[in-house]
Amino acid sequence: MSNTPRTTGPGGQNAPRGGPETGPTAETGPPAETGPAAETGPISIEGRETEGLSQGAIVRRKFFGHKGAMAGMFVLAAIAVFAYSAQGFGPIPGWWIHNHTSSGPIMNPAGAPTWSLADPFTFGQHPFGQDDIGRDNFARVMKGVQISLMVMVIIGIVALVLGTVIGAIAGYYRGRLDAFLMRVTDGFIILPTIVVGSILGKLVSGPNFSLFGLSSATYMAPALAVVLGAILWTSLARLVRGEFLALREREFVDSARVAGAGDFRIMAKHMLPNTMGVIIVNTTLLMSQAIVLEAALSFLGFGIRAPQVSLGQLINEYQSAFASRPWLFWWAGLFIILIALCVNFIGDGLRDAFDPRMKTVPSLRRMNRADRRAGRVPGRQMSGTGQQETGTTTAEAKRPGTDHEPGADGDGGDDGDDGKGASH
Amino acid sequence: METPQKDVILSVRDLGVRFWVNDEWMTAAEGLTYDVRKGEVLAIVGESGSGKSQSSMSLMGLVPKNGRASGSAQLDGRELIGMRDEQMQKVRGNDISVIFQEPMTALNPVYTAGFQISETLRVHNVMGPREAKDEALRLLRLVEMPDPEERYDSFPHQLSGGQRQRVMIAQALACEPRLLIADEPTTALDVTVQAEILKLMRNLREKVDAGIILITHDMGVVADMADRILVMKQGRVVEEGSATQIFTDPQHDYTKQLLAAVPHLGSRSEERAFGSGAEKRDGVDDLAAIPLESNDTYEHPGGRIQIDDAALKLAGASIEYPAVGRKKAFRAARSIDLQIAPGEVVGLVGESGSGKTTIGRASVGLIPVVEGSLTVGGEEIAGKRDKHLRGVRRTVGFVFQDPGSSLNPRLPVGESIGEPMYLHEGLKGPALSSRVEELLDSVELPRSMRNRYPHEFSGGQRQRIGIARALALKPRLLIADEPTSALDVSVQDRVLALFRNLQEEYGFACLFISHDLAVVEMVASRIAVMRHGHLLEVGPSADVVAAPRHPYTQRLLAAVPVPDPVEQRRRREARDALLVSGSEDLVG
Amino acid sequence: MIRFLLRRTLSTALVLLVVTFVLYLLLDYTLDYFFDLRQSTAPNIGQLYEARAQLLDLDTPAVVRYFQWLAGASGCLVGMCDLGTAWYLGQDVTSQLPGAIVNTIKLVTAATVFAIVIGVFIGLVSAIRQYTGFDYFITFLSFLMYSLPVFWVAVLLKQYGAIEFNNFLADPTVGWGTIITVSLVSGLLWMGALGGSSRRRIPVFIGAAVVTFAVVWFILATGWLNSPSLGIVGVGLTGLAAAVVLTYLSTGLGNRRALWTSLTVAVVGIGLYMPLQNLFWYVEMSWLWMLLLLVVAIGIGLAVGLAFRGRDPWVSARTGALVAAVMSFFVFVDRVFQGWGEYSRHPAINGRPIATIGAETPNLAGDFWVTNLDSFTHLLLPSIALILISLASYTRYTRGSMLEVLGQDYIRTARAKGLPERTVVMRHALRNALLPLASVVPVDIITMIGGAVITETIFGWSGMGKLFIDSMNRNELDPIMAYIVITGLLAVVANLVADFLYAVLDPRIRVNA
Repeated sequence: MSNTPRTTGPGGQNAPRGGPETGPTAETGPPAETGPAAETGPISIEGRETEGLSQGAIVRRKFFGHKGAMAGMFVLAAIAVFAYSAQGFGPIPGWWIHNHTSSGPIMNPAGAPTWSLADPFTFGQHPFGQDDIGRDNFARVMKGVQISLMVMVIIGIVALVLGTVIGAIAGYYRGRLDAFLMRVTDGFIILPTIVVGSILGKLVSGPNFSLFGLSSATYMAPALAVVLGAILWTSLARLVRGEFLALREREFVDSARVAGAGDFRIMAKHMLPNTMGVIIVNTTLLMSQAIVLEAALSFLGFGIRAPQVSLGQLINEYQSAFASRPWLFWWAGLFIILIALCVNFIGDGLRDAFDPRMKTVPSLRRMNRADRRAGRVPGRQMSGTGQQETGTTTAEAKRPGTDHEPGADGDGGDDGDDGKGASH
Repeated sequence: METPQKDVILSVRDLGVRFWVNDEWMTAAEGLTYDVRKGEVLAIVGESGSGKSQSSMSLMGLVPKNGRASGSAQLDGRELIGMRDEQMQKVRGNDISVIFQEPMTALNPVYTAGFQISETLRVHNVMGPREAKDEALRLLRLVEMPDPEERYDSFPHQLSGGQRQRVMIAQALACEPRLLIADEPTTALDVTVQAEILKLMRNLREKVDAGIILITHDMGVVADMADRILVMKQGRVVEEGSATQIFTDPQHDYTKQLLAAVPHLGSRSEERAFGSGAEKRDGVDDLAAIPLESNDTYEHPGGRIQIDDAALKLAGASIEYPAVGRKKAFRAARSIDLQIAPGEVVGLVGESGSGKTTIGRASVGLIPVVEGSLTVGGEEIAGKRDKHLRGVRRTVGFVFQDPGSSLNPRLPVGESIGEPMYLHEGLKGPALSSRVEELLDSVELPRSMRNRYPHEFSGGQRQRIGIARALALKPRLLIADEPTSALDVSVQDRVLALFRNLQEEYGFACLFISHDLAVVEMVASRIAVMRHGHLLEVGPSADVVAAPRHPYTQRLLAAVPVPDPVEQRRRREARDALLVSGSEDLVG
Repeated sequence: MIRFLLRRTLSTALVLLVVTFVLYLLLDYTLDYFFDLRQSTAPNIGQLYEARAQLLDLDTPAVVRYFQWLAGASGCLVGMCDLGTAWYLGQDVTSQLPGAIVNTIKLVTAATVFAIVIGVFIGLVSAIRQYTGFDYFITFLSFLMYSLPVFWVAVLLKQYGAIEFNNFLADPTVGWGTIITVSLVSGLLWMGALGGSSRRRIPVFIGAAVVTFAVVWFILATGWLNSPSLGIVGVGLTGLAAAVVLTYLSTGLGNRRALWTSLTVAVVGIGLYMPLQNLFWYVEMSWLWMLLLLVVAIGIGLAVGLAFRGRDPWVSARTGALVAAVMSFFVFVDRVFQGWGEYSRHPAINGRPIATIGAETPNLAGDFWVTNLDSFTHLLLPSIALILISLASYTRYTRGSMLEVLGQDYIRTARAKGLPERTVVMRHALRNALLPLASVVPVDIITMIGGAVITETIFGWSGMGKLFIDSMNRNELDPIMAYIVITGLLAVVANLVADFLYAVLDPRIRVNA
């Protein structure tokens, strides 16, 4: 029930859609009362959810309420702590008895795992088994997890910085610079990442490449990560650009300019914080792609190479042994999936938390229960076009009670990007 | 009304709508009891969130998934609340149909107008495609669509706003419904188009024998259309009565306040506004003097001021939105001559696309002036880049239209208000704080609110913050771009009062941009009228409102509905006369 | 419109040109042209190095060599292709390419089509059942698929989809526990997908479980797996079912004429089954024949629809044509599977029909049907691997897009008009929701081509991806460049087609451009 033809709707992507003026109950107090307090009136239905909270707090609360994301956070943290403590990091030694390079006597026939479902409380010497020359698979997988996680994080950071800066500049300045930068991203997108990644991976791990005279073993993983980050930033840059293009049209940006803010201040202080949602969410999703990409490259032999280990490299090394020593193959793969799955769930939780349109799920059962408590007859009800036969949805718990907002176009089109942002 | 009458179509008893939010039921509307009779227009009036729309949608089972309706609503004796989906589908569009507010989004963009009308016909009637097309064309003619054959195959984006609303109405009338729900049918339209659509709806009302529920917040529209009125506030009906009764003798305090808060066109001019009576016929005589198409500026006596130290001065200024990529540059304002004296409030009026906002934005250098000159306090803006505009921007404040969008959602409002002072005067820390608090005082907001975020404020409060920010540097010129158009009338009333007080206190000159003539008349001493980027008429407010010279201004004024059924009827007739005497019709 | 497409194509082609330049220099720096000589202890090692450098013209600056290569490559525009040589193998690149391109396109096309169809369908159902158990299940599943490394899946598929499955085929017995579990899971899935009140859920669950149980039991008990074919009964039943389902989806069962049309078409299809078998037997078939028969079938479908007249003959005709196409597909599949026994017993196959390596069985002499079956069994696993990874993105995308659209005002209008929910979803929501898919498909095709690099390597599918990896390992520059150009061109074409589709489907663009 906004009042005029010229309203542009209360917000774009990151503005609180459930702002007080869209609620079904009155925003305004009785006109009789004068003074500012009168304008507050009873807080609106949607306003209740966010009453007295800053944006960050709202996002945090929604994120912490997301079960999948919380489970993902927990499992991922557990994996990281486990892997780093088991194998140690840098000079700090780990608690596991073997390391990933030393070989020992083969315990079980063919090096089968000493830990099995039949007796889950006995871990033994080699819980994940051993390979043909007696190296401990648990130590190798843990080391691989370490490297893969590190690669993932570095890729994330590099892509984050590149994508944000390039996207922001393109979206803010528009015109020729934008056109040029977008052609550059086209150049990256036109070929599959795995192809460009293979070439760069071969470059980094090849004999022609050296970095400050260091041995290839020390820099291989970080160098590979930086290089991969340098090809994965494009999707983020496009999204940030889109956000900046949309934000440019928002009045608070004009308002800041009228207040005398310069380009840099507008970008950094006004636009960037409003893009954080998109950036965080997509960097997270990008990291889940990154770990799979690293694994794929290592599998193809253009990423991490022996004697270095990573999860993909382990699978590559052991793929021919699949028939005879399947455990070598299973564990590394499971950890890749587990890490990627956790990161995906965290990304999904972040997306929901940052998306102002996402509301708490109305649960039919709880609605009915509350109905009964209130002594109402649930049969005498009518719901949004049917939980019954044909079963329809009103998307994302469409802003309850918003009559409609003229021209709420500001936030169209970003879902599409979400979909893309998540594809790999 | 307790005695059932045989021409009652819809009988609503104790209707309530509630929503499941945050694990509890919130009531959007309750205890609604009313009847709608054949051929009658029942207006449901209320401000945002009064539950007027949700309660009407619940009649058709169209509340969102987390909403529930209770109570009873009977259409010709059939209970609607709790009706099974399959039955409800036969009622929707057939017995009850809706005209939605925003015809752009309410029509499916990928199907033609004709297809969408035929679809409605065919889902409820046994009808072949050819018959449906004929019938749809008949409906398009009924709603006075120009070139119905051609429009039949047009997609919604190819139609103008008024045409889209005509399609919407044709679609709603397709199956000769018993009850028509018009949910803010003209809110998204320009005032002249609104007048056309209202006229159409009035004509149709006599042709179709349906009961009409008109949901609106606009008292002018109500005065124009309604037979009976239901005033809602916070989900409850506070008053019900016939139109004359409500307008002339409101009982409930809320109704009285609501009516008092509505700006009334002509309230400040000594004579009544143009078109209110036959006594201003001499104005009409002048019609021949200026053709409707004329783009020249007519200046009333006293319309142009000639001073040297004008707060804002446009001389032959043309303003262009610069080309972006392959989008061509768009000239939004052409050869504008306009001055604002220090301390003067000038209203700039026009419909959407008239270029009024363009002038406001160009005055602070947000859009470049490509021809002529634009000076602020004597300083030339044309041709300057951002860096060199700092000096000018220090002396100009800008209040934006949408209070939700003009504040950075990620900054506490105190910081937003303080930003200009930080950037221009280098104020920091306690000095800045005390200035921010002063400003909050002056816009009548508690100082404690400075640490809150914009989304925690209501629309009216946000606009107060916007004003505080604009006044931070004690500007000599304030550009107010539709500052109240996103607000409910009672809030608008208070914001306008605040604005006038502040203007007296600070003494700034002001360019007050609005589409609402009544609002502009209240605050401005002179009014400038724009159309399609041209300035058509400038003059003292009273003169422009009472004796407009340009035919366009006359039409604009005549189209504004006033919240008084008797006067509105007179204005309507005057407008029809005006349109007849004018050579061409305004096509919606 | 055409100008728009032309401009887009030109700009992408320019980008591609720059990309080839950069990558040429990068590759020249990366590739180790002497990799096979590094470990060599030959006495004339200096000479060998010298000869290699001369062979590859390494004394010429790389930039100059790039333009020489470009000159040769641009010859392709006038039919005089010179894409250089793969020096290690000593082959012309132009001779390596044709088979590889065809194989890759075959793989990627098959995978894309199935991924889109299945993904859109699942995403649609998931959106309609938002926040139900089914939706959560699908969401979890698609996240899982996102997280799957394709190479890992491929290796698993090779082991379980081919080797173990072939073993299973030799002695197809399954425990009762497994059958019952499968039936219950199928029941749950159907229940979740169809939704509705508890009064409706339970019969759906029981029905789906019983049907699944019966089908599995039938398959196992009759040894169907060793001679799988539908027969006239199977074709008839699936045809009739398809008729009902398609009518429901396209017009609703309320449209009696459409229903009669589709049922009639199904019956006509059954009637034509035997004559067709004779035709297949006596005449050597080809794809041209297949296309011709399909056209005839669709023609029959249209004719039947029109013959039923009614108010809306074209709606019936459309439904009839759809049913006819589906029937033809089943008849085709049936005939292909009739060759299963013969194929399986063929000495080149030796009872292990699911292939793990290559794109076709060498030395398999067979007629049209057997060759098709052969290429189908080879295509099966690599496509599944590719489908699995891109299915998730289509599912998620459709779901998100659908939810977005379902929240639009015009959907409320459509409901307010009294349209049945089926029409609201299929006509008003789905069409709008699928529009933006046009911009996802090219991106996904590029991803698929990338995925094909891995699947082709693992399944020994001699396509472009395998060529790329092999050339990378052999440090051959020219084939890699050819790969880059062709992949880039495929991407350009995919984008062009997507732009075109988008413009055709979205009236807002059609007019503006």
